[in-house]
Amino acid sequence: MEEDFMPRIIGFLCKWCTYAGADLAGVSRIQYPPSILPIRVMCSSRVDPLFVISSFLRGADAVLVAGCHPGDCHYQRGNYYTRRRYAVLRKIFEELGLEADRLRLSWISASEGRRFADVITDYTERIKKKGPNPVKKEVFL
Amino acid sequence: MSDPKKEGEGLKGAAFSGGKSSLETVLGFLKRTLAEGCFDALLLPVKAPGGDSFPYVLVQDKALLEDRGSPLPPIMPVQGGKAVSSLTRRGKAPRKVAALMRPCEVRATIELFKLAQVDLENIFLISIDCPGVLPVKDFAADPEKGMAAFGEVLEKWGDRKVRPVCQICHRFTAPLSDDGAGMVVDLHIGLLGIEDGEVLLIPYSPAGEEILAKLDLVPAAGGDILSAWRDRANELTKKRGEERRRAQEEMKSKVRGLNNLLETFDKCINCHNCMRVCPVCYCRLCYFDSEAVKHPPDDYLRRAGDWGSIRFLPDTILFQVGRMSHMSLSCVSCGTCEDACPMDIPVAQVFSLVADEAQEYFGYLPGRSTDEPIPLATYKEEELEEVEDAPQGASSETKEKDG
Amino acid sequence: MAKFLELDKGTEAGIRELLGQSLRNGQVKAVFALRRTTNGAVNYSLITDPQMMEEAVPLFPSMPSNAGQLLSRLTLKGPVEGPVAVVVRPCELRALVELVKREQGSLEGFLFISFTCPGVYPLKASANGEIEGKQTQYWEAVKSGKVVPEIRPTCRACEHFIPYNADITISLVGNKDVDKRCILFLNTAKGAELVKGVGGKLSEGELETAELHAHREERLAEKKSLYDQGQLSGLGMDGLIEIFSRCIGCRGCRSACPICYCNLCTFDSFDYEYEPSTYEEELKKRGGVRIPPNTIFYHLGRLTHVGISCVGCGSCTDVCPVDIPLSAIFLQVGEAVQKIFDYIPGKDVEEDVPLATFEEVELTEIEE
Ligand code: SF4
Ligand code: SF4
Ligand code: SF4
Ligand code: SF4
Ligand code: SF4
Ligand code: FES
Repeated sequence: MEEDFMPRIIGFLCKWCTYAGADLAGVSRIQYPPSILPIRVMCSSRVDPLFVISSFLRGADAVLVAGCHPGDCHYQRGNYYTRRRYAVLRKIFEELGLEADRLRLSWISASEGRRFADVITDYTERIKKKGPNPVKKEVFL
Repeated sequence: MSDPKKEGEGLKGAAFSGGKSSLETVLGFLKRTLAEGCFDALLLPVKAPGGDSFPYVLVQDKALLEDRGSPLPPIMPVQGGKAVSSLTRRGKAPRKVAALMRPCEVRATIELFKLAQVDLENIFLISIDCPGVLPVKDFAADPEKGMAAFGEVLEKWGDRKVRPVCQICHRFTAPLSDDGAGMVVDLHIGLLGIEDGEVLLIPYSPAGEEILAKLDLVPAAGGDILSAWRDRANELTKKRGEERRRAQEEMKSKVRGLNNLLETFDKCINCHNCMRVCPVCYCRLCYFDSEAVKHPPDDYLRRAGDWGSIRFLPDTILFQVGRMSHMSLSCVSCGTCEDACPMDIPVAQVFSLVADEAQEYFGYLPGRSTDEPIPLATYKEEELEEVEDAPQGASSETKEKDG
Repeated sequence: MAKFLELDKGTEAGIRELLGQSLRNGQVKAVFALRRTTNGAVNYSLITDPQMMEEAVPLFPSMPSNAGQLLSRLTLKGPVEGPVAVVVRPCELRALVELVKREQGSLEGFLFISFTCPGVYPLKASANGEIEGKQTQYWEAVKSGKVVPEIRPTCRACEHFIPYNADITISLVGNKDVDKRCILFLNTAKGAELVKGVGGKLSEGELETAELHAHREERLAEKKSLYDQGQLSGLGMDGLIEIFSRCIGCRGCRSACPICYCNLCTFDSFDYEYEPSTYEEELKKRGGVRIPPNTIFYHLGRLTHVGISCVGCGSCTDVCPVDIPLSAIFLQVGEAVQKIFDYIPGKDVEEDVPLATFEEVELTEIEE
């Protein structure tokens, strides 16, 4: 059962870094599981926490928010705000006993193709162990 | 979708049974329509996991109906018209959906259709005889007690326990004949005057007839059950009509005039819950929540200076009367606004009173027909001379001159 | 040591007289306080006529709306040309400060009078007139310095009952002579100015006595028991669904919440309305979809919007027709969120809302 389950991870990837990093992983033919559904955003700070909640409630097995390393944001400060918003969102999930480990924030630069593959592999393994997001079967949301 | 039976055409009904109680039978009927592919999905109230509410659910999986499907729940947490609008406001329902609602909810749906907030194309409307609902607040406070109370309501058909507007509702069933109290619906489920366990399925449109035919149900004109239903429904309609008049007279003496109105809404905290749950108030951003009602501080201070003091926020009555002027022609007396008022103001009793008068004035009945325009969305060149400040007949004279 | 003025009369009468006189001699242009209308309801009012001060009931134990929200509405288009004296509760003042940080109002032109707040009864008790019968019990408890029975759960659990940013703080909690002596702590020059010429006795003393500290301990214990009762961390999605399945979608919690100031809420906007195709997808996934959709989404989303600034005022719970314990949830989750940044909403108007600022090196532990 667990073998068959390939999680669906919604990835909000910053165009300037992580998305390019994913590209690099591709052209370098680094293997990683086909679990990620990438959505390109102009900056990690474009990711409204509501996008994450919505993905989670609509049945994504996990959500990844990824952007430039602190200090490297193309817009100077975007990812600092992202980090705070994410911290708040995660705290809300934890406080309510929701599965906060289905959320992840990672900094991956354009040159870190290897790191991108590692993050996806690691995250996918973690979610595989957890199993599908039970929320996708809920009717009374 | 077509208009209800025209004058003279007799009603037909098919009896249906199979459940231990009538509501179980209704559920059985609905399951059968799903099984036979009459519809792809049903929209109906379903008991929530907490057991303390009955939200509308679009159901495809029959298992959801087991022990949960509630064709006639004890409360109306969301007005069905709102549910249908939510489903179809952005375009017709994805597939063929049968929506089962109480009569006031069906009527709200029709009004919303006329207001372009509902697409009826894939919607099959089913109404059911309604004994009223309990106040949602009472039920939330003690669901178990609520369930017991509603059992009694069903038994006695109408009871002081249901909401005040339900107690005086005279449009709790489908059109009985040609008395003009019409309602657009495809199929009506009659419970009144019929033995427990049995229900009457009355088609009101060709689509309704088709569905019955598909299920090999043959509606008959006349017949004992049909006349039992009609007699009981007629009798109750009359009685409720009288009660309505009496209650409204009493209400009138309480709310007529500015001072009485002020007193009635004195406790209003401007939460606008009443507006937001009203099916007919469909605006995304209400005028009374918009920039237009946000004034510079000087304005407020000047007004306070004029009166010595003003309530803050001011304009509570402006909101109430303004809302009336926006929607009372389409008010279906459903009581949802009153349910949602945290201050227990008899909002629906006031609104339905005003609505009845406004609707009578224009000879308009919300939900009666899909083509009859809402009076404020149309006009006649010669009408309402009595409200004009001009000598009788002046308008036509002017027109002659202009012509 | 702080300066305080002692008037030789009951506290509420003292306030009324002080403000009536300030209106009369033009020291203030208007007073914003609770007032009992001729029909008996108690609402906030903007009062300019000194005579009308007789109808003011500034200490009435009910909160018809969070005054922070109302004062934001008053000053949305610009500051008042004051001075306008306002008598509001600490959480209302905090809410206003949060709104001012979001450019939804102004503190300018106001003279803030607040008090050590004993809490208020649920709005329901005001809807059905029960509060009148509870006044004696209320004021007895206030005198004794104990937590007043039957006040709202969020009030019982409120640890910020001593106002921040008040020009004048009225001593209520634990004031044994609350019905005989009106004690006003003068925190600012503006406050001191206002009481000039009203007589009374000026002295020096501490507002935060040992009794008040003991009272705070009691409130903290109440908070702990509220949190223990809520068992939020054990909720999970099933628990959330159970709590919110009776939500009727009236959005009263949002319209009553002072922190929610948007004209058009995101959750009512076009963006999150389901298209027919969305319904189709969801139906396929689940076999059934609640309609209207997005109940849990709305509440979780609102938490991300207001949690950081929630002042625990309880207005959301008060207005909820089906008694969902919203403020208990928002208070607890909000506090957890605020703790990340050591933030106390409404304490200091100069301090940025944490989500509108950042530090370059922080929160490193949350990145993986
Ligand atoms: S005003 Fe009240 S009674 Fe009339 S339709 Fe709206 S919610 Fe129903
Ligand atoms: S629901 Fe009640 S309190 Fe709220 S605005 Fe309507 S009448 Fe006023
Ligand atoms: S006030 Fe209560 S019923 Fe209304 S939206 Fe909020 S939680 Fe739901
Ligand atoms: S969420 Fe509730 S308790 Fe918090 S500030 Fe808003 S209304 Fe007050
Ligand atoms: S929930 Fe968010 S979007 Fe809605 S009113 Fe509150 S702050 Fe604004
Ligand atoms: S541009 Fe990559 S995080 Fe801002």
